Amino acid sequence: MSLGDMLFGAFALPFMGRALLVLLVLSVVAGIVGVLVNLRGLEFISDGLTHAVFPGLAIGLAVGGTAGLVPGAAIAALIGAVLLTLFVRAGVTSDAAVAVVLTATFSVGVIVVSLSDDYAGELEALLFGRVLTIAPEDVVPLLVVSLVAAVAVAATLKQQVFRAFDPQGSRAAGDRGLALDLVLNASIALVVVAGASTVGTLLVLALLIVPGASARLATVHLWRLFPIAAAVGAVSAWLGLAAGFGVSVGAGIDLPAGSTVVAVFVAVYALMLAVRLVRDRMTRGAPTSVAARPSADAMGER
Amino acid sequence: MTDSEPVLVLRGAAFRHPGGAGVTGLRLTVAPGEAVAVIGPNGAGKSTLLRGILGLVPLVEGAMRVGGAEHAADGMIGFLPQSSDLDPDFPISLEQVVMQGRYRRLGLLRWPGRRDREVVRGALETVGLSDRARRRFGELSGGQRQRGMLARALASEPVLLLLDEPFNGLDQANRDALIDTIRTLKSRGVAIIVSTHDLELARQVCDSVLLVNGSQIGCGPVDDVLTLENIQECFEGVEVEIDEHTVVVPGHEGH
Repeated sequence: MSLGDMLFGAFALPFMGRALLVLLVLSVVAGIVGVLVNLRGLEFISDGLTHAVFPGLAIGLAVGGTAGLVPGAAIAALIGAVLLTLFVRAGVTSDAAVAVVLTATFSVGVIVVSLSDDYAGELEALLFGRVLTIAPEDVVPLLVVSLVAAVAVAATLKQQVFRAFDPQGSRAAGDRGLALDLVLNASIALVVVAGASTVGTLLVLALLIVPGASARLATVHLWRLFPIAAAVGAVSAWLGLAAGFGVSVGAGIDLPAGSTVVAVFVAVYALMLAVRLVRDRMTRGAPTSVAARPSADAMGER
Repeated sequence: MTDSEPVLVLRGAAFRHPGGAGVTGLRLTVAPGEAVAVIGPNGAGKSTLLRGILGLVPLVEGAMRVGGAEHAADGMIGFLPQSSDLDPDFPISLEQVVMQGRYRRLGLLRWPGRRDREVVRGALETVGLSDRARRRFGELSGGQRQRGMLARALASEPVLLLLDEPFNGLDQANRDALIDTIRTLKSRGVAIIVSTHDLELARQVCDSVLLVNGSQIGCGPVDDVLTLENIQECFEGVEVEIDEHTVVVPGHEGH
């Protein structure tokens, strides 16, 4: 199989085309939402939401089969988003709140799944996704879920960034923190919903976190973070699907698609980190420590 | 609103945090271009008063009129909070921070246009930071950041500017720059209320003084209000700086 077949030809197959379409849209949206997750430091809340979605998926599957996945997950995610927002606001430290929601809901999900006939198979699909077996009728709901999250975040983007930078100032300027938090957490939840049925509840976090973190490595320019994160997401999704297909078909090694996509996301992050470290070394002549939330003044751009 | 109409009127007003501290008995009228110093010791309710005018702390007694209405219109009040600790690594430039002052006027969906960029440029010029517009906010010195936040407050084109302890931690150069800015704004007709426990500052740039310590002790022209007796009542047992001397105000004797 040629490289061209792997990168382009493969997506002529209907199931690969569907996987690409859903994953591209999802990754772009997750990248944009993920920049706000990064700026607000909401990684752990996002993790909590991925777990909160799990019982929704399980109940949805039990009630309506695979068609019940998206509605079930959406309901669970929105409940989780509201609860987490209110918990954090009520002064429960967010880590404790998330841990409570996370373990409680995950156990509910496992109990529901364990009642089904094909326990192991169902559990695996929910945890690790089914990106290559997205049914044609599931494409539109997944795209709609992603796009609702995109619109919600786009409509409040200026205010979200303001709040991320200076919550007090944003409140003094008349913005409602609770409303903004609900919109952002609900958007994260919707991304998690769409991601859970494609790459699985355990791996969707990578789609949310990695592009935003990569963008922070690449630029200190606020409004460039969003297109860069979207591009990182889109390219990683495409290369990940292509790589999974190429290795599985060309080399006969059966790679799970969702995990391969996530591996490529992380590889792109590692590459950008390496570039960043080399650039820092060249501009400063000495190594600089680069954490997950990098100091940007070493970047040599203005 | 005409020029002669006051920007702010408080009549027997009291602001109180739900279930918390408050400040009472406020009677104050602020005209366009007038600067009022709110003076009192720490915990006297100076910040509560400013936040009350902003609408962040509820008015529990009396009446307030802002620009002739019960609530301030969007962008009418500019606010400079006490030096807030912001993440120095946040990827945002000074001009982007100042642009946040326009957001209230822009609303949710509109993005900044040419006029907004002009206002931001003007605000940066007013505080003397035009050459730093594209610098990352976290790279600026503390005093420059404070002036940057003032530019953000100005970007909403306020008729009333609230400054909460703006001189805390400023070096002499930044202090002078801020005083110049306050004078410039007054000459443009912006009304200013500045909370401070720096009596010297009040004498330098303010027309009148509001003395508070939980409730209003006095209000009026600087020299009328900053009397020894009033200051004793307000600052009893508190250290104050007057003309670069630190003194501990004694209590009332024989009262």
